[in-house]
Amino acid sequence: MIKTEELTKVFRTDEVETTALNKVTMEIQGGDFVAIMGPSGCGKSTLLNILGLLDNPSDGKLYFDGTEVSKFKERHRTNMRKGNIGFVFQSFNLIDELTVFENVELPLLYMNVSSSERKKKVNAVLERMKIAHRKKHFPQQLSGGQQQRVAISRAVVTNPKLILADEPTGNLDSANGEEVMALLTELNKDGTTVVMVTHSPSDAEKAHRIIHLFDGHIVTENIKHVL
Amino acid sequence: MKDLCVPIPNFSEDEIADIELRVGDQKISYSFRVESFAWQVEDELSVENDDVSASLARIYRLKKAIEGYDKKWELIQIFTPGDNATHIQVLYRRRN
Repeated sequence: MIKTEELTKVFRTDEVETTALNKVTMEIQGGDFVAIMGPSGCGKSTLLNILGLLDNPSDGKLYFDGTEVSKFKERHRTNMRKGNIGFVFQSFNLIDELTVFENVELPLLYMNVSSSERKKKVNAVLERMKIAHRKKHFPQQLSGGQQQRVAISRAVVTNPKLILADEPTGNLDSANGEEVMALLTELNKDGTTVVMVTHSPSDAEKAHRIIHLFDGHIVTENIKHVL
Repeated sequence: MKDLCVPIPNFSEDEIADIELRVGDQKISYSFRVESFAWQVEDELSVENDDVSASLARIYRLKKAIEGYDKKWELIQIFTPGDNATHIQVLYRRRN
């Protein structure tokens, strides 16, 4: 599903040049559950942003479902993301001015899905994530765990092929973190590819493969389960 | 609860920590080892006054150390070395 060849990302300012990713070559199959681990600043989030087509690499190639997307312009990347990729962030990134229902509905609006269809899909996913009873509430009225369930709902409502999760349990207590990991594992068992950045070895244990990143390089990879 | 944290004072690089848990009726045993690999040392890979080459040399040393490590042990976590550290710590767990 995703293939990178010597992917490199360099950030430049007037004073300094930082190589966040250095010739990263990897492949992720459809249905895989991959954890990317490494210390702060090692390039994990940069890698996730590039895999999620939120940014372009400085060099190297990125393939998504067989299509080379490394040099896509912003508009092209946006079209590719829509409906194909869902995101889950550490700090949830919900819109405070929108209700739970409206937050989850947003990706479907961008895809021009009809109103009746949007209602059906949003209600179905909120039921699945066991947060339907709060659909008229605003994010600030929810606990951290509930907010992350809303964020996951938003990520999956378009039935994407791929979910990218950046430290999804980072702001949660143990119990809520376990619940979020159970949801991601269940989504993966249903066929969604999941790529997760994490600091937590116990969260990483849920994945099929663990890739260890250091200073922008892949240092090693553990294969936990054969797909 | 997914994690139990066990502080181990004076756990040095040559030692293995064996942990036995009993959860309900089930006994679970783990063996952990913290290894120290060369990180910023003077060797044939060292290049003076070149930060990029120095970074590549560190990564190369670490990769080689990990690749050649005893396969009976599984890498769990690579810790962040301190500034000016000469070695980097890596946590391993014995495979079942």
